[in-house]
Amino acid sequence: MKGKIAVFLLFFMNVYGKTFSQTNSIQFSIIPTFGAATLHLSDSAFYANDTTHLQLTAVKCYISNIQFLKNGKLVLEEKNSYHLVDASEINSLKISINNQQNISFDQLKFNLGIDSATNVAGAMGGNLDPTKGMYWAWQSGYINFKLEGTSALCKTRNNEFQFHLGGYQQPNDCLQTLCFPINNSSKINLRLDVQQILQQIDLTKTNHIMSPSAEAVLVSKIVANAFTIYKN
Amino acid sequence: MKHKLLLLSLLCFAIVAFRSVEDSLFVVPSNFPKPVYNFSKNSLTANKIQLGRALFYDPILSRDNLISCASCHSQFSAFTHIDHALSHGIDDKIGFRNSPALMNLAWQTSFMRDGAINHLDMLALAPMSNPDEMDENITHVVFKLQANNVYPKLFFEAFGDSVITGEHTLKAIAQFMLTLVSSNSKYDSVMRKQSVFTSQEKNGYVLFKKNCASCHTEPLFTNDNFRNNGLAIDTTLKDFGRYRATKNPSDSLKFKVPTLRNIEFSYPYMHDGRFKKLSQVINHYTNGIEKNRTLAPELQKAIELTSNEKVDIIAFLLTLSDKSFLFNPKYFYPKEIFSKTVKD
Repeated sequence: MKGKIAVFLLFFMNVYGKTFSQTNSIQFSIIPTFGAATLHLSDSAFYANDTTHLQLTAVKCYISNIQFLKNGKLVLEEKNSYHLVDASEINSLKISINNQQNISFDQLKFNLGIDSATNVAGAMGGNLDPTKGMYWAWQSGYINFKLEGTSALCKTRNNEFQFHLGGYQQPNDCLQTLCFPINNSSKINLRLDVQQILQQIDLTKTNHIMSPSAEAVLVSKIVANAFTIYKN
Repeated sequence: MKHKLLLLSLLCFAIVAFRSVEDSLFVVPSNFPKPVYNFSKNSLTANKIQLGRALFYDPILSRDNLISCASCHSQFSAFTHIDHALSHGIDDKIGFRNSPALMNLAWQTSFMRDGAINHLDMLALAPMSNPDEMDENITHVVFKLQANNVYPKLFFEAFGDSVITGEHTLKAIAQFMLTLVSSNSKYDSVMRKQSVFTSQEKNGYVLFKKNCASCHTEPLFTNDNFRNNGLAIDTTLKDFGRYRATKNPSDSLKFKVPTLRNIEFSYPYMHDGRFKKLSQVINHYTNGIEKNRTLAPELQKAIELTSNEKVDIIAFLLTLSDKSFLFNPKYFYPKEIFSKTVKD
């Protein structure tokens, strides 16, 4: 009998727990776009009316330290908040943040990239594991943002361009902190417009950034500005 | 109640016993400062060290499964590559720097000649990915280790998880490297008042303290910093040292001050291995300094030594050799692990 009660209790807790977490969490979605269109990362993804034969093969970034503020004061923050967002992995585009107490907020704040303390803390697991391809080898440090593809504008091998933005030390600290005023809603859609990034980079001149530099800081700022809150 | 007490005392005993085993895996030598490495984030266990030792000696870390860490870091030469001025890697390729000797790494704040590596855990990634050294990547290494017939078991024994990760692979290698402590040279026994210098060594020590110790600081014989030591640039390598990592012009031609422990066995010397003999090194400091913008302040004033004094300094440097380190069986190739691989 005791066993049966325990099983029932476990079942009940499970069902109840699930409903509970659904109503008391914030669904944070990242929507990569190319202008108004959905972003496609595949070999056939040439964009119409594009004479440069632009093709994107990788769009990845770290979103970390997600915080919610109310009247400028921190009211909610995600624990162990390190997310690897990969445009080719649908699951990585959805982040669920626990808000058990239904705390209300009016501002979203997060980092694009990995903070300097984490950069110097040694080997990490999960999303921060160096096997995720977002860590430099010859020079220690996380890659905050990765954008790779091809364009006829690039007079490089196979017309490739590669932007691996990172660097945690001054003067080339690439970490960007983003803040958005938002409605107190359990759904947040954050859009990343890759077209906006590429419109601000002259691919004929700038097509290869793979270490911390002043140029990496500049492009990191361009990337940060390409994030907007969408259909909120 | 009695049972509870017994259980409690047993538990206490177990904790104390466990602590002492853990402590014995890494002992801070009595004449050494506190280590820099944060052991609380990667606490040493015998199984993790043993796993790291296996990985250190296993060529599985390289693209062609032929080059291991030990290929360029052999124990008898204080874990550097004796007789190789520049690192000799995969497909007989030659790298562009002299492989550094590995010892007392728990006291180091940055790694490599240019300090580009910020943490011991991350050190192995650099040679693993270098196209002239192992030409692999950690993601593929983890894939190969997972498919191997001994490693999932070794990882389970070490980390309680047979699913291999980059984090665990790197932490295990770091654990083995942390155990590479050299602290039993004649110099150390003199410092601990267990032995005495000869009069020549003693004179060499006095001269060393006067002329060399500001950078090669005791007891680690490095100040863990970067200096331009006045070497004329090798025009074939064009190696600007730390500038490569920081892109700061004031770091041009600066290199990590290496430890002098076991220097007798870790030739050739300098970041590009240009000197084969200690006498050449001493002569460089007395007669070969090239003055330029970033030259170390310590070398602005010429070092003057008579030929007898040079010999005395070398006699002192030889007291930094530590045979108990160079031939310690706990750092040997772990044949007990690899013989199993062959059998399976």
